[in-house]
Amino acid sequence: MKPRRARRRGAFTPYLFLAPGLVLFAVFRVYPLLEGLWLSFTNARLGRAQHAFVGSANYVRLLDDTRFHVSLVNTAYYTIASTVPILAVPLVLAVALNRGVALRTFLRGAFFFPFTLSVVTVGLTWLWLLDPVIGPSTYYLRAAGVPVRSWLADPSTAMWAIILTTVWWVTGYYLVIYLAGLQDIPRELYEAAAIDGAGGWRSFWSITLPLLRPVFLFVLVTHVIGSFQIFGQVFVLTNGGPGDATRTVVQHLYETAFQNFFHFGSASAMAWVLFVVILAFSLLQFRLLRGHTQY
Amino acid sequence: MPHRKLSSSRRRFLEGAALGATALALSPRRASAQAKPTITYWNGLTGADGKIMDELIDHFTRDTGIRMEQQRIVWADLYAKLQVAVPADEGPDLALIHTVEIPHFASDGILEPMADSATSAKGFKAEDYLPSTWQGGLYQGKRYAVPLDVPQHLLYVNVKVMRDAGLAGTDGKPKIPTTRDEVLAMAKQITKGDTFGFAIGTTNPGRYTWGFHNLLWQNGANVYAADFKRSGLGEPAALEVAEFWGAIQNQHKIAPPANANCRDAFIAGKLGLWIAGSWNFTGLREAKVDFVAAPVPRLFKQAVVWTMPHQYTFPKKKAVDAAKRDAAWAHVRWMSDHVAEWTLKAGQVSALRKPHTDSRVTADPVLRTLLGQAGQWQSGQATPKWVAAENITRPVIENVYIGQKPAAAAMSDLARQINALPD
Repeated sequence: MKPRRARRRGAFTPYLFLAPGLVLFAVFRVYPLLEGLWLSFTNARLGRAQHAFVGSANYVRLLDDTRFHVSLVNTAYYTIASTVPILAVPLVLAVALNRGVALRTFLRGAFFFPFTLSVVTVGLTWLWLLDPVIGPSTYYLRAAGVPVRSWLADPSTAMWAIILTTVWWVTGYYLVIYLAGLQDIPRELYEAAAIDGAGGWRSFWSITLPLLRPVFLFVLVTHVIGSFQIFGQVFVLTNGGPGDATRTVVQHLYETAFQNFFHFGSASAMAWVLFVVILAFSLLQFRLLRGHTQY
Repeated sequence: MPHRKLSSSRRRFLEGAALGATALALSPRRASAQAKPTITYWNGLTGADGKIMDELIDHFTRDTGIRMEQQRIVWADLYAKLQVAVPADEGPDLALIHTVEIPHFASDGILEPMADSATSAKGFKAEDYLPSTWQGGLYQGKRYAVPLDVPQHLLYVNVKVMRDAGLAGTDGKPKIPTTRDEVLAMAKQITKGDTFGFAIGTTNPGRYTWGFHNLLWQNGANVYAADFKRSGLGEPAALEVAEFWGAIQNQHKIAPPANANCRDAFIAGKLGLWIAGSWNFTGLREAKVDFVAAPVPRLFKQAVVWTMPHQYTFPKKKAVDAAKRDAAWAHVRWMSDHVAEWTLKAGQVSALRKPHTDSRVTADPVLRTLLGQAGQWQSGQATPKWVAAENITRPVIENVYIGQKPAAAAMSDLARQINALPD
């Protein structure tokens, strides 16, 4: 039997190994989070040493901030509208690539390539592609006799142009995750299903989709969290325009903190509202998609 | 003996090295160079003018021995960085900023006031400058900046587009519009397919506040009323401008879409008349575009031209290093003395009067056009809320431009938002 001291030392060992990571997490994640929470109850402004406690004034002001409301609606719209293509397009491509199509490795690399680009590069590329005067899309559509419109300057299409850009950008990333999930499904299940007379569609519906549930959950949760925080594509492609048609919460927050008077107190309140929304959606998704399929 | 030989040679080498080091240390030139400080300098000259600034800084260092560590940051990011860095005592020794940024930085304690005794001791005098630029360095009676140059609007006329539209004389020179009626008539004649007649702004013309301000000033309106206590955008003169802003896209259909890149369109020969900043013209020359520069046409009551002078400022330090401050002053003085070079190469008209009569400057047709507008220059109002009001203005005027919101409702909403800006 080990002496009590040795056992106690043994119990501490894992924490010693975890300590460097935990310290960094506490300093760079937890502390800023709590500091942000404190700032949200103050009239803090970037660059001013003094700030005073103002209670819930910043949160109350958000109730009257119509541009914040528009930003919330736009962010929710983007999140919901982009979810189906973000879930579906990489899945379709992954299933196709998993069947051993020709040039599989090349195609996997080609689909993944856009994800290696920075959001600014992606944004500027699509800005040029969709330019209403000198962009290639305008040129070819006009040449084909299709009525040309300014996708990014039309409130009814601007958000969809951003969604298209995002799908093109991140498809490769989710494709790789789906492929890993697909390769994890035992081949015997498909063989057994084939013996039982199941066709391709039936196998997909009854084997592939249920067994990909954990992967779906991961893709969905990470996509929704990322979508609520969308900023880069919007900033480069439309800067929130036309008007406020694509203005999102993070852009509104950024402008409040870094462009309009550097109001860190108000911006921190927005950040915490966004945090609560993301937390609520994440919990909801975990609840809806919990469970595990086994055969 | 080999050992003895080696030892002797090593001694000679060490003696030589020691002598050399002593000579270098005692050399007066070396001593002087070591005494010169290195200063940090932040600016937003991220375009072609940045390379010219590099050349001039190299020249300055050769002349004075003062080294400059330059950071070029996109203007909007530069201002956020100043706001963060200066209170943390991490700001630069010298910063070049736009005039309209001075009031809010001054009221936030980001900028060091310049004593009149210091500016006059360094040879900076009001009478050497154009009044509007010198006044722009003041906020609430204190000087915070010394002006460098005057970026401003002008009208670029695309010769090929004008000729194709039949708007050139028998000598091949394009006709130049000077009034609103002429601009509209010519722009309608040019606009066809993907070629547009008229635009204001480099990119995203729908939300180009600098162009909108130019038109406001031409109509005698402004963002704030004279007392700065309320917005002037609810006034009929501002509404008239907003209506024109929307009409060029929706009624006259002469302007490119709200998010067009007008500069690229002009270079590609798809834009005829273009009101844009003077900083574009060196790039157009490099792109070998056949264009003529003309004064900004009078689209409303008066021929006002928008300007946004660059100003040298000293971001605040907890403890001022006198040697570095002197070195920063030396650079401002040197640039002011060599500003004709800056004007000729970067295309920015000097805030100082002297280079305006330099024969090299007056020989350039574009610079001559810019100088000819000097009597009509106007800049933003000296209120700390100016920049925030401008940021709010962008989406509102874009909604008017694309026909999403009527001008009257948009202006009334904008005035309300500006009036609600916190102190």
